[in-house]
Amino acid sequence: MSGAPTPPTSRRRFLTTTAALGGGSLLAAAGIRPRLARAQGSVKGTKLTVIAGDWYVPETNKMLDDLAVSITKDTGMEVRIERFAGEQQVAKVAAIVGSGQGGDIAVVRDFDAYLYADKLIDVTDLANEIGKTYGGWFDVAQQACVVKGRWKALMIGQAPAAWNYRTDMFRAAGVEKFPDTFDELLVAARKLHAKGTPIGMTLGHASGDGRSTNYPVLWAFGGKEFEADGKTVAINSPQTLKAVEWYTEIYKVMDPGVTAWLDPDNNQAFLAGKVSATVNVNTIYLAARAAAPTDPAKKTLIDNMDHANWPAGPAGRFGHYNINLWAGFAASKNRDGQLAFLRAWHDRSFLPKWTKTGQSYFIPPFVGFDKEDVWPDDPKLRIFRELNKVNRLAGYAGPPTSAAAEAVNKFVLVDMFAKAATGQLKPPDAVKWAEREYQQIAQKRLG
Amino acid sequence: MARLAVRRWLDQERTLAWLLVGPLVLLLLGLVAYPFGVAVQFALSDRTLAEPGRFVGLANVWNLWDNQIYRQTLGNTIVYTIGATILKLGAGLGLALVLNEQLPLKRLVRSAILLPWIVPTVLSAMAWLWLLTPNFSVLNWILVHSGLSQRGLPWLTSPPLAMFSVILVNTWRGIPFFAITLLAGLQTIPGELYEASAIDGAGTWRRFRYVTLPLLQPILLITLVLSVIWTFSDFQVVYGLTQGGPMNSTHVLATLSYQVGLASGNIGEGAAISLTMLPLLLILIVWQIRHLRRGVAG
Repeated sequence: MSGAPTPPTSRRRFLTTTAALGGGSLLAAAGIRPRLARAQGSVKGTKLTVIAGDWYVPETNKMLDDLAVSITKDTGMEVRIERFAGEQQVAKVAAIVGSGQGGDIAVVRDFDAYLYADKLIDVTDLANEIGKTYGGWFDVAQQACVVKGRWKALMIGQAPAAWNYRTDMFRAAGVEKFPDTFDELLVAARKLHAKGTPIGMTLGHASGDGRSTNYPVLWAFGGKEFEADGKTVAINSPQTLKAVEWYTEIYKVMDPGVTAWLDPDNNQAFLAGKVSATVNVNTIYLAARAAAPTDPAKKTLIDNMDHANWPAGPAGRFGHYNINLWAGFAASKNRDGQLAFLRAWHDRSFLPKWTKTGQSYFIPPFVGFDKEDVWPDDPKLRIFRELNKVNRLAGYAGPPTSAAAEAVNKFVLVDMFAKAATGQLKPPDAVKWAEREYQQIAQKRLG
Repeated sequence: MARLAVRRWLDQERTLAWLLVGPLVLLLLGLVAYPFGVAVQFALSDRTLAEPGRFVGLANVWNLWDNQIYRQTLGNTIVYTIGATILKLGAGLGLALVLNEQLPLKRLVRSAILLPWIVPTVLSAMAWLWLLTPNFSVLNWILVHSGLSQRGLPWLTSPPLAMFSVILVNTWRGIPFFAITLLAGLQTIPGELYEASAIDGAGTWRRFRYVTLPLLQPILLITLVLSVIWTFSDFQVVYGLTQGGPMNSTHVLATLSYQVGLASGNIGEGAAISLTMLPLLLILIVWQIRHLRRGVAG
């Protein structure tokens, strides 16, 4: 638990809080989920500012707004949602962490539980309670949220990147199904290139797609950035070299613009039929599906596209996704309000419905959701429920440290592949270049 | 009596001067000196977003010299600054000379010229991204459909061309500043000097070389100094077009500083990257100001 000051506790407040929590524990012990309103008797008259992202599926934003209204109605706590898009959200969270002011709870990303651990509240008890409710957290949720044995955040979900591919173009090139191995992918890419419909893997400084496209390649060949201690750099290995050599080959038959692709570029190229396959979250499909009733070109696209999991490499099949987490700021003076909000979010009356509404833009972090009705009905989104099982965090085989975060932000892995693929460096030299960068980052960040 | 004393006190030139200058001094201290001091303090520490950090002296700077990405970025920044400044100077001076002539719709043209400078940089970067984007570059469409090129050019994909592209956009944006400032300078040159030199037999080039250029020099140097500072610390054009890619070939110090300082949360090192601009800019500014003073004195 952080050492941030908590508000003085009055006798009445103590009694209502302990009664509510005690009652909740009894109900939980009896297998009955504690009702939100009962656990929130102490928050009446307080205010809670929630810094939220602007999620891709608009209905999920609306549901959060409605949740805020219902919490206010149930508890008397004024819940205000503030939304920031993209980098603004990062800057806002950073400002709150730095100043201790401006928000009580926020949607944070990827490494933030690690980077800001001392500035976040300990939610271990709540995480255990929620885990029990939904059949346990996936390992990746624990890796992202648990710092030194304590939960510092609660995973909202991961935006899973899968292969988006054009079934018609694949068939025309003589590729009947999406490749199941990296060797098959290389063969298919050559056939597709010969037909004038190449594949495209983002090799530019794209903050989202650059990661989700390139880390899985490293892992599939058995490469890793760090040893399990999170400090020893392990990028220079025969496995990494194999991955780089594979990339060098497939780059020759890819869309030549990939080294300049930023996040929107692969979407645009795929939507326009310029590339036959790319790695992306399901926003290409969701946007096209929404436009299909009035746009015949989009209708054709959604009829002729599908999603596929990553092929398997010599070391297995892996994915890497952007993660959203809920984190409460330790500097907040409304600790009860923070917990009340997090309970309400994870309430069975809300979370499964929110998850289903999200159309797998976020895949949930709970093992038990596999058997629940939280998945989209559209068969072309079916693959996304499998993707929780292949995810890893950057920094593997170590934890998501600040060094792993800096390597991501500096695009070291992306540039390692790009330098070799474009011929700027030979594959062994590109790996050595990356190793030097990783070593310097690790040395200054981790000592 | 007291009122008289106050009036006398106010009547003193020194008091009045301080009263008039005071607000500005406070503003500069608060908005320039204080943030600069804080940035220096950050640069000398290992502060992160979450931790206040401790004093590490110049360790951040020494670590930077050892880093390939930083060295590449520094080189890029110098190329970017020199390239864009030369192009802006050439085009801006040319434009100013043209605008100084009697043109139809002179006022309208002079106002329209300012547009690239007025439009928010992020917006113009997005417009240029549309022209240069690797998928559907409008420039490439024109090149291909006019038969000038078979496949178009890799504007943002090839490292040298990507650097050229960001220089081009910075130049496009900066030309109006040069043009309008130099035009103002041109208009202060008395017409009699041109008439006298014409009578002495000087042609267009000699009039430009021996009348225009020497008299324009003070304002030219000031414009250059400002432009170098702004170009050296530019962030928006590069971030909007390439985010420093491909393979860091267009990274400039401001974008690297953001990447390390804010995106990665390493405030100390990010501030150090920013502040390494300072010595280089100081050398340049001191040299130019001394040159300017010599010119004025001469």
